[in-house]
Amino acid sequence: MGAVLAGHGLVKKYGSTTALGGVDVEVGERDSLAIMGPSGSGKSTLLHTLAGIIRPDDGQVLLRGERIDSLGENRLSALRRKRFGFVFQCGQLLPELPAEENVALPLMLEGVPRAEAVARGRRWFAPLGLEGLERRRPGQLSGGQAQRVAIARALAVEPDVVFADEPTGALDQRTSTEVVQLLTFATRETGAALVMVTHDADVAAHCGRVLQVRDGRISGYSQFTIA
Amino acid sequence: MPSPVLPLTWHLAKASGRRGLHSQLLAAGAAAVGSFLLLVMIAATVGAGDRAAHTTWRTPDAVPAKRATAVQATTTTYVRREPVTVVNLAQLPGRAPTPAPPGLHGFPKRGEVYVSPALAELLHRLPAAQLADRFPRVTSYGTITAAGLASPDELVAVVGRAPGDAAVSKSAGNQNYYDEDLTKRAPVAGFSATKASVFTAADQGTVLLGVVLLVVPVVVLAAAAGRLGAARREQRLAALRLAGATPRQILALTAVEAAGVGAAGALAGALAYVASLPALAEIPYGVGAWYTGQLWVGLPWLAAVVAAVTALITVSAVTMLRQVAASPLGVAQQADPRRTRAVRLVLFVGVLLYIWMSTGDGGQLKTRQLLALLALFYGAFWLFGPWVVDRLGRVVGRRAKRPATLLAARRLSDDPRGAWRTVSGLVLAGFVAGFFSVSALGSEGPSHHGQIAVITANAADARHTATEAREALRRAGVTATVIVTGEDAYDSLLGGVDGVTAQVSGGPDRLDTAVTALTPLGSGRYPFTQEYVSAPDDTVTARVAAVSSATLVLNFLVAAASAGLTAAANVLDRRRVYGLLRLSGTPLEVLDGARVRETVIPLAVLAGGTTAMGAFGAMQLNKAAGTTMNVGGALELVVCVAVGALAVFAAIAGSRPLLRRVTAGPVPTAD
Repeated sequence: MGAVLAGHGLVKKYGSTTALGGVDVEVGERDSLAIMGPSGSGKSTLLHTLAGIIRPDDGQVLLRGERIDSLGENRLSALRRKRFGFVFQCGQLLPELPAEENVALPLMLEGVPRAEAVARGRRWFAPLGLEGLERRRPGQLSGGQAQRVAIARALAVEPDVVFADEPTGALDQRTSTEVVQLLTFATRETGAALVMVTHDADVAAHCGRVLQVRDGRISGYSQFTIA
Repeated sequence: MPSPVLPLTWHLAKASGRRGLHSQLLAAGAAAVGSFLLLVMIAATVGAGDRAAHTTWRTPDAVPAKRATAVQATTTTYVRREPVTVVNLAQLPGRAPTPAPPGLHGFPKRGEVYVSPALAELLHRLPAAQLADRFPRVTSYGTITAAGLASPDELVAVVGRAPGDAAVSKSAGNQNYYDEDLTKRAPVAGFSATKASVFTAADQGTVLLGVVLLVVPVVVLAAAAGRLGAARREQRLAALRLAGATPRQILALTAVEAAGVGAAGALAGALAYVASLPALAEIPYGVGAWYTGQLWVGLPWLAAVVAAVTALITVSAVTMLRQVAASPLGVAQQADPRRTRAVRLVLFVGVLLYIWMSTGDGGQLKTRQLLALLALFYGAFWLFGPWVVDRLGRVVGRRAKRPATLLAARRLSDDPRGAWRTVSGLVLAGFVAGFFSVSALGSEGPSHHGQIAVITANAADARHTATEAREALRRAGVTATVIVTGEDAYDSLLGGVDGVTAQVSGGPDRLDTAVTALTPLGSGRYPFTQEYVSAPDDTVTARVAAVSSATLVLNFLVAAASAGLTAAANVLDRRRVYGLLRLSGTPLEVLDGARVRETVIPLAVLAGGTTAMGAFGAMQLNKAAGTTMNVGGALELVVCVAVGALAVFAAIAGSRPLLRRVTAGPVPTAD
């Protein structure tokens, strides 16, 4: 099985600080990769580089074999919208929109008619345990529920890769486990790859592989068997 | 132990970086605009009153004949369609000397003529046959100083007469309906009268109308300034609470910072007002430009406005923070939409019905009633506006197809009061502008342009005077048709009084020459024209038109500033969610489009609606009063609304670079 997303020899420097010092990484379909490391190790820079948010100073990022790090800003933006999904730590949902419209938003941005976008988004509510919360606004949801809505939104466009940046950072232990289980389960179900940055080993353990990053380089690698 | 609040506030303000500085500069700028406008409004109100007070000496207050020391006969003549107030004074023989009128060095002796500087300039510029010959011939004119004038542009003459002169005779003071407030004769002992001239009496009232309409948008602007740093303060609240600060200390910190920024801005606005006084004084209103001193509000007002604007910004900032302190998540994520109740609609409909019933009998409303109804409508609309915004948000939200429209609609129904505040100034100004721009404000009556009327003692005199008038006009080289009018000619310029009327061919110079030529025939009264007859109505109409135009323009400026400031504040408040959406690939155009629609949708519906409503109301009143529409005013309205809407649009677009900057990507870190 070929890599859905690959980074080869990724280098990123901020002044004299090397955030990435030549990192190679690959993820395949239904693959889940956790990136761990201490603060300042370069794990978020690696995620942002793979997601096309920042450009590497050297190296390449390939999505299904096509180089994306050299694309123009507009094409990169469209690519992130259509082929990637994102889950952040918090504050990513629009507070004025009910949950179902937050989920439907990426589809509407792609030109899907509103009714269809909402209907397609609603399909994720039951599997993610959000039934009955469709009309609730983010402020009326718990932290865990809001993260599940964010997962639904990330998956609504049926992306190739879901990027999650500390998706459980603002949650308690029990809710963290629930959310990460749902995240890994749902991405596998859609056939998407998952790249997740976390500092929590228990959360990382739900992923198929774990990369340890230190000083911008891969310092360790573990592989788990996902049940 | 000294309180740590002040040093900590100063330290945090210094450490807040460029973004913090931008917020503070914007807030201070809004405070400056707010205090500047408030001071200008107060200055115009105080100045208009001061002007009127400088004209009261001209309308004589009769004293018993035994106490009288002089006779005063004030009248008005027109040159180039501008009024010239002429005060004829005659010292009575054997009586105590009469004090000097305001602006004169002494009581004028027989044959002396004192003129205002503007009239002196006109006398110098125009041929004597058009103006100077209306007064006694003199080798030089005395000067009326500012103490006796409402404006440096005012045209006033004081003429010293003999007690038996026709200009101060009883017939010179005969009152017809059109003479009210323009011509009056009385025995006097001084110049302590209290009735302002017709040309300044309506000034303060109409300025107040503008102030009422402007004060709310200005307050909204200042309150918006207080909101600017809300997001930054929210973060600070969280950080400081974690560091052990008490809520009271945080509130004090916020109050001190907001007060500092507000006071600096308000003071800058006050200084700008002081610096621009000479320029402001050049803006003509009513009888002309102002004396700079008339627009000086005095230190107590200055201090009060600076304090009020500072307090407003401080209260706005602290209120915002109190909401955060009570429920930080509630504010950040807006857990519950701020719904509005249908009782607002009921109240509004009730007020509309009341206004409908009050005006249903033919539209003969006095200005005061009109103002009262306007204020009532204003208040009712203030309640009704948020309800409309809320419903508008829901309706548009249900039908929205595009993401930007959906976002804008949801925001409207999420905080309808906030959205209403942004557009309220324009919406209410639109109503007033719509009303006044197409309204003729009262019956215009038959037109007598090009006619000059001369009053005579009786019909026989009129025939004799007609012959003299023809001869005088022929000598002056004026082509005119002179006819005798009697008591049957009610619709003539004389309104049924015995006299002659001359229909003059040619422009204003011919008319002025004819008036000058006919002046000796008027048995003490100046011949008069259409301007004289319609002066009271025309003056009020002109003042209201000037104030409503100025209010509309200022309202647009304030609303544009408010909209721009609110848009910038919203970008800063939502920068995290905007940033994350942008990272996820949401096009900047969608976020920007939502921001623009958030203001443009209610603005188009409400401002458009109220402007149309105002215009319709004025048309109905005009119809009832049998007058015509002011087509020029309607055109001016359309242009004003279009330019104003563009200004608001541009102000919102002004925060686009800020949106681009705050969503430009992740902050570079080594992580």
